[in-house]
Amino acid sequence: MTAPGDMVCVGAVAGAYGVRGEVRLKSFCADPEAIADYAPLCTEDGAQSFTVRLTGQTKGGFTARLGGVTSKEAADALRGTRLFAPRDRLPSLPDDEYYHADLIGLAVVDTGGADLGTVTAVHNHGATDLLELQVPGMSDTVLLPFTLAAVPTVDLAAGRIVADPPAGLLPGDDTGGDDA
Amino acid sequence: MGRSVWKGPFVDSYVLKKAEKSRESGKNEVIKIWSRRSTILPQFVGLTFGVYNGKKHVPVNVSEDMIGQKFGEYSPTRTYYGHAADKKAKRK
Repeated sequence: MTAPGDMVCVGAVAGAYGVRGEVRLKSFCADPEAIADYAPLCTEDGAQSFTVRLTGQTKGGFTARLGGVTSKEAADALRGTRLFAPRDRLPSLPDDEYYHADLIGLAVVDTGGADLGTVTAVHNHGATDLLELQVPGMSDTVLLPFTLAAVPTVDLAAGRIVADPPAGLLPGDDTGGDDA
Repeated sequence: MGRSVWKGPFVDSYVLKKAEKSRESGKNEVIKIWSRRSTILPQFVGLTFGVYNGKKHVPVNVSEDMIGQKFGEYSPTRTYYGHAADKKAKRK
């Protein structure tokens, strides 16, 4: 779970751009240009903080000027640096909408309180959003539809999700039938 | 060249049978299927299929705007883990 005040990785420096201290910036945001809205961004250890001004586009990213980076050498030194924004800088969302960063790491229990696992990723393959669960004692993961029927309760404060998975979804529950 | 209209949409017969059985039972269950080539029909709307991707059954909740597509389109065979960043998930 990402508690308020935690950091969220929103981008990375891919290298220098030109000789005047600009950098190539990769954005991981849903709307790539939104990375500049979350500035100032800091490094993983919080030692450095940068303002961000997007100056153009390159293949797979942006060119940008970071505050305090004025030479090509300084820009090259940042190559591979991941950039983080505080979680509480992300705008608040309407009901039933959640940031992936908030969902990842939550514990999942069934309606009886039994442990079903932990959310490791959130996917969307075109239908509904899917929560990927790491089930205790299993090497493989399970996908749970993120719907009101299958996930009736999301309690971010308590750090848990109450799930009512449809029959045949969890391992050892083969009511979905195997007879092709 | 597309499929001739007079043939109608292709669906593996076992998918139709399983869907009909599930709808009659009224149970909330995942219908496990291996037929990625089957077309999504209007009578599948509201059901949840587990579409095999070569490794596991990916749950697919069928909605109206998916009619006419193939099941395989919603169950990718390769997984990409990007960064969470500010991406959002909506509970429907």
